[in-house]
Amino acid sequence: MPRVSFEHITKTYGTLTVLDDLNLAIDDGDFLVLLGPSGCGKTTLLNLLAGLLDVTDGRIMIGDRDVTDLDPKDRGLAMVFQSYALYPTKTVHGNLKFGLSASKLPREEIEKRIAWAAKLLQIEPLLNRKPGQLSGGQRQRVAIGRALVKNVGVFLFDEPLSNLDAKLRTEMRLEIKKLHDQLKSTVVYVTHDQIEAMTMATKIAVMNGGVIQQFGTPDEIYERPSNLFVAGFIGSPAMNLRKAKLSVAAGKIEAVFTSGVRLDVSDYPFAHPPLDGAEVIAGLRPEHFTLAATGPVAATFDVPVQYAERTGPDASAYFRFEDDLLALRVEPDAAARLNPGQSMAVSYIKGKANLFDARTGQRM
Amino acid sequence: MTFRWSRWSPQLALVPAGLVTLVAFIGAILWTVYLSLTRSRRLPEYEIDWSEWGRQYERLFKDSAWQISLQNLIVLGLGSALAIVFGFILAAMIDREKRGESIFRTVFLYPLAISLIVTGAAWRWMFNPELGVEHFIHSIGLTWVNASWLARPETAMYGVILASVWQSAGFYMALMLAGLKSINSEIWSAARLDGVGLFRLYTEIIIPMMKFTFVTCAILLSLGVIKAYDVIVAMTNGGPGQSTYVPAYFTIQALSAKGNLGFASAAAVVMLLITAVIFLPLVLLTAWQQRRSGART
Amino acid sequence: MTHLSIAQKALGAEVAVRSAPYFPRKKKAITGRSIAVIVFLSICALFFCVPLYVVITTSFKTMEQIREGAMFALPNVWTLEAWDHAWNSACSGTRCEGLKVGFWNSVYILIPSLILSIGLSIITGYALALWNVKWAGPFLFVLFICAFVPFQIIMFPLISMTAAMKVYGSIWGVAIIHAILAMPVLTLIFRNYYKDIPQEIMSAAVMDSGSFWKIFFEIILPMSGNILIVVLILQITSIWNDYLIGVTFGGLGGQPMTVNLANLITISTGTVRYNDNMAAALLTAIPPLVIYFFVGKLFVQGITAGAIKG
Repeated sequence: MPRVSFEHITKTYGTLTVLDDLNLAIDDGDFLVLLGPSGCGKTTLLNLLAGLLDVTDGRIMIGDRDVTDLDPKDRGLAMVFQSYALYPTKTVHGNLKFGLSASKLPREEIEKRIAWAAKLLQIEPLLNRKPGQLSGGQRQRVAIGRALVKNVGVFLFDEPLSNLDAKLRTEMRLEIKKLHDQLKSTVVYVTHDQIEAMTMATKIAVMNGGVIQQFGTPDEIYERPSNLFVAGFIGSPAMNLRKAKLSVAAGKIEAVFTSGVRLDVSDYPFAHPPLDGAEVIAGLRPEHFTLAATGPVAATFDVPVQYAERTGPDASAYFRFEDDLLALRVEPDAAARLNPGQSMAVSYIKGKANLFDARTGQRM
Repeated sequence: MTFRWSRWSPQLALVPAGLVTLVAFIGAILWTVYLSLTRSRRLPEYEIDWSEWGRQYERLFKDSAWQISLQNLIVLGLGSALAIVFGFILAAMIDREKRGESIFRTVFLYPLAISLIVTGAAWRWMFNPELGVEHFIHSIGLTWVNASWLARPETAMYGVILASVWQSAGFYMALMLAGLKSINSEIWSAARLDGVGLFRLYTEIIIPMMKFTFVTCAILLSLGVIKAYDVIVAMTNGGPGQSTYVPAYFTIQALSAKGNLGFASAAAVVMLLITAVIFLPLVLLTAWQQRRSGART
Repeated sequence: MTHLSIAQKALGAEVAVRSAPYFPRKKKAITGRSIAVIVFLSICALFFCVPLYVVITTSFKTMEQIREGAMFALPNVWTLEAWDHAWNSACSGTRCEGLKVGFWNSVYILIPSLILSIGLSIITGYALALWNVKWAGPFLFVLFICAFVPFQIIMFPLISMTAAMKVYGSIWGVAIIHAILAMPVLTLIFRNYYKDIPQEIMSAAVMDSGSFWKIFFEIILPMSGNILIVVLILQITSIWNDYLIGVTFGGLGGQPMTVNLANLITISTGTVRYNDNMAAALLTAIPPLVIYFFVGKLFVQGITAGAIKG
């Protein structure tokens, strides 16, 4: 039985439809990341689940309970907000305690839970401080603590790391992941940061324009994006997307780019038998190119170097191909040797191409 | 949708205020408007003679005291506008010359903290014909000066205006000062570099930039003038004769002293209409402001 | 209400409690222009102080000295006689028990008025700003208009209503009318203040507790310190300084100090005792002046901060 499910959810504001007949279900213990650009409806979906917004139509189930008409406090959820939303006039202890105010727990139980959460998050020395006296990372911990004390099965996170600096963000990312593994709880996590999504999620739902574009594990999403949006959205540098025409001959299927370069896609797992001359868009991941043609190769491009970028452990190189740039992930050492303007032979590894129908944008 | 108590408590919390608005404001206004159409004298009557529903208004506009009230309203409005001008001059000077800002501010604003009855009492005493300022001026030899304004119908209004300006100039100064402070300090430097004279700087740059503050002040001043009542009671009681009657005073006088309910209601309705005329630009201004700030975000 | 108080409060309608940024200033050399400006400002300050000076000195003079006509002279003999007289035995109408009656009436009016007016408007402002209530927009608009309605248009109906409620002519009548008349403006002030509370804090509170009242008392009220003080000062001064409501609804038993004072200075039989009058005026003015001189910044904030916003 799914832990959380959205059934035929529609949300409209006046004449504006934000979500239209959306369905999504996740299992107990899943770490679901709702990923998408801003305005894609992911936060709306989270707020609907939290009960902070009302659905226009449809049903939300948590476990076997229909919570569509329940108050937020009665849904058995806890939420961590982007701005932490700590109560400024209460101490850390008071903040944690207020989270339990709806539950009619005995005093000892409340104190026990606060002590437990404080220990888990290492905020025990801060219990008597006010939020104003805490650093960003500490506030984040308190916000998580306020959710933890509720002892609920489902946690909601609304871009909780976006107000932290890069170093803290990495730390907290790990910490949240660790907490999830430890508590075996179900998490719904909203973010626009794909690194967060890829590192933490067990399931990702990529959203755009109020529609779930793809729902699957991080690997599925990355390896087999189901449409052009997901392909372009996930990955940095982004997947190279190029127009091509299929050429189907006996035993050999190729995608032919406008400049005539041929990409061998014979081993591509087509959902339907490909048609000769079909317009497609080929998606080539930057890291599936090699500068040294070793192993089986699907295509070789003879292209001039435009420029290279080093980002410490990694490097990207950009080549001019047709009218656009082709992004490649290269070894930092190799990047240093590249001279702008110099033409090079670049190969694409066999079996790694993605093909999309140029008309529908769907994966083939 | 099932009934949820949590949804209703915020709605219920609005009930007292909603009732107050509905009964004490909207209901009461309608009641007064209705009464203004009746022949009510000391006690309310609820029959309207539709053939002459406007008789109270006719009487009102024929009433000499009401005509004086309207004239005085304009005189008081124009006179009190000096408070804005004065307030701006004070604010501009305090803003440029920072020395002693807090002392000057405290001094210019204190009249605002005290009751207009007290203000009226003080100025009534200053204007005392036998022992007041006039006596002092005469005693130093300037016997031709006439300073017991309140004693003469032609000048009594000026006394009221002086007291009003004294009371409210600090208020407008505070508004203007805040307006001036919000002006980017670079403008001063730029003007100095361009060699713009101080007078031109104010008339051509600063005042146009503060037009919003000026409009706000003007509207608030007008609304204040319509409500002017306490200061009249304390200084002149409408006198000498009826020379310092204003609509607010006239209306209450008609109700309490003359006991003429229908008549007083008609006067109150006209007051409301005057307020509405002044208030309309404020509503438009607010709407415009909101649209502007909405466009910004 | 004093004729400006509504306007003052209306300005507060958009109070966001913030003080003007206070830049450290460079010491400038004194120039001729500075001197001229300071001289001019000092003369203006003198103009503002003269009435206060005259009132204070007069209140300490004897009637003999006042009759000599030297208005600006200091008292020959400083005497508290007038103060004693004003406080204990000055006549207001037919009663000659001094201003102390009115003083205590003002205090008794003040306390329930404050509780009723602030209580009613803070809850309304809170509900309008932070909860999703129906008709919030139209309601706010109506309140905005009500804030500017002249008192005369609702005066008679309110008299009838309070008479029907059997509170007309008592302290309670005055207090209720104060609460009603202040409600629109104060509600707008609170609403605008609460509007700036981050939505996420409310969301967190709704998920944590969900109770309208519990969130108000535990989370929102403790966050309202600044605005409460500003509103409190605004209300104390405007209720204390009010004349019109007091004289209309106080009857004979509930007349505040300002009404006593007005009676004293306007209805005078026999020889007028100007020193008594001035002492009475000062007695009436002292409470708000004390507030002004101690927390003037907050007072000014209350009446101006909002007006300039935008």
